[in-house]
Amino acid sequence: MTFGKERKIAGWLLSAPLLILLAGLLVWPMYLGFQTSMTHDILSDFETYPVGLENYKNLLMEPNFWSAIRFTLMFAFTASIVELILGFALALMFDRVFPGKKILFSLMLIPIMIAPSLMAVMFRLILNENIGVIPGFLKIIGSSYSIFDQNNIFLSLIVLDVIQFTAFTFLLTYSALQNMPSEIYEAAAIDGANKRQTLFRITMPILKPALAIVFLLRILDSIRTFDSIYILTGGGPGTSTQTVGIYIYKTAFIYGDFGLAASAAIVLVFILAPFMPFIIKQFNLGTERSK
Amino acid sequence: MKKNWGVTAAASCIVFIFLIPLFGALYTSLRTDEAIASGPFVWEFDADWTHYRNALGAAGYDFPSFFRNSIIISLGTVALTILVSFPASYAIVRLGFGGPWLLRLALALRITPAIFFVIPFYKLFTAYNLIDSPVALILANSFINMTLALLVFAGSIREMPIEIEEAAAVDGASIWMTLRRIILPLMGPGLAAVGVLTFLFSWSDYLFAVVLTSSEATPVTVGAANFVTSYGVRWGDISAAVCLSILPPLVFATAAQKYLVKGLSSGAVKG
Repeated sequence: MTFGKERKIAGWLLSAPLLILLAGLLVWPMYLGFQTSMTHDILSDFETYPVGLENYKNLLMEPNFWSAIRFTLMFAFTASIVELILGFALALMFDRVFPGKKILFSLMLIPIMIAPSLMAVMFRLILNENIGVIPGFLKIIGSSYSIFDQNNIFLSLIVLDVIQFTAFTFLLTYSALQNMPSEIYEAAAIDGANKRQTLFRITMPILKPALAIVFLLRILDSIRTFDSIYILTGGGPGTSTQTVGIYIYKTAFIYGDFGLAASAAIVLVFILAPFMPFIIKQFNLGTERSK
Repeated sequence: MKKNWGVTAAASCIVFIFLIPLFGALYTSLRTDEAIASGPFVWEFDADWTHYRNALGAAGYDFPSFFRNSIIISLGTVALTILVSFPASYAIVRLGFGGPWLLRLALALRITPAIFFVIPFYKLFTAYNLIDSPVALILANSFINMTLALLVFAGSIREMPIEIEEAAAVDGASIWMTLRRIILPLMGPGLAAVGVLTFLFSWSDYLFAVVLTSSEATPVTVGAANFVTSYGVRWGDISAAVCLSILPPLVFATAAQKYLVKGLSSGAVKG
């Protein structure tokens, strides 16, 4: 075996590019982020000066921030539940032999390969009142349902998120199903378990950790939803569909208040921080199990 | 054996629903402006490629340069991500570099929303005069994708039998030689998985692109979204531009589907 010292030097050398990247793009920007959050930094005022915790104080009293948090959590939770259930149901469906399975599987994965922003542009196209196929179809069947109406917009955004991201939950739950040892099913069949019993008493309990991870990942991913909703509604009508991401983006780059936006970004990370040890543990567990 | 045509039919219906946006865009991109204006179901179908010609430069849009920027940014990100993450993964897994902390940091970073980095990156790249250059986007996207790459590489290296490396060490091979002659040739699937995912995610990036570019380095995602607002009524050209923008990642990821599935289920955290 090589000597300890050589291994140590090699370790540093091999990790050097990573460490440089982390120093330049993690440590330094994080410092900049904290510093900005404690600075009066508004585009229209030429001077910037330190203000201590004032941005945080203003942020916590800002109703738009709280409504953005509420909307984001509601949106993330609802969309993730629907996507998990639908994705798992589809995975169970694809867990059988049927004609055309291979090509349908490939087609199922297409939404993963489409950028959310481009998907949103396509949605604007098919939902357009004058030329879109969906309003056109609604007109033909005589419905006056309005997709972008204040009362319907939440449901519309959920449907769109489901169309884009169910492929992801489908893929992950499907690979978890593939890892189930077939002996278990054989044993269940010998014991006379019917299909429903096998699903609820055997498959689901065994897959519970995997399903929990997929759900958690989806929630954490949808909490940062920005592109699709921003392109579709811009956060409107009013601020009713403003996610935290949209709030931060608009505060900084539309209204020019970098200090306030930076403090919102930091508060968001603090809200998510309690999940971190949990997902690290869950994730390690998940990778070990799948082997 | 009885053929399960019922499942095929049900699965086809669901796939069709999921792909309605794509079909809608394809359909519109091939219709003439008059047909588009007269409503979605006025059937006058004779494929018309004018919109594709317009998108590709005939109408004077910047779309070809958006397209070129996306390719530069995505390929640059793939290269830098692999260059940074692959050697480090080996150091972490086989040389015990950084203990378990570097991988844990990677997971924690993966959970941190990208929006957290947007303002600091904007300040940083403004200070170094890199705003609106592909370099800024390559760096930002590599940083975001690095954590996924570390997880996938670390997983692949861990799965390799360590005996080969031990035998090589006994034969007097240095760590460099082991890495180049033994590990690298076996890393094909891991490299492919990281390559396809990184390409996909950096092609899909919108947030960093909208903040860090203004015109010169704009990729297709921001370009297409701006199309909608700036050329409001030209739906045919927009559709053609979007269909073209979807094509490269679609072709690439479908060709490498096996690795996409492997990467997503082992690295599992999407950007």
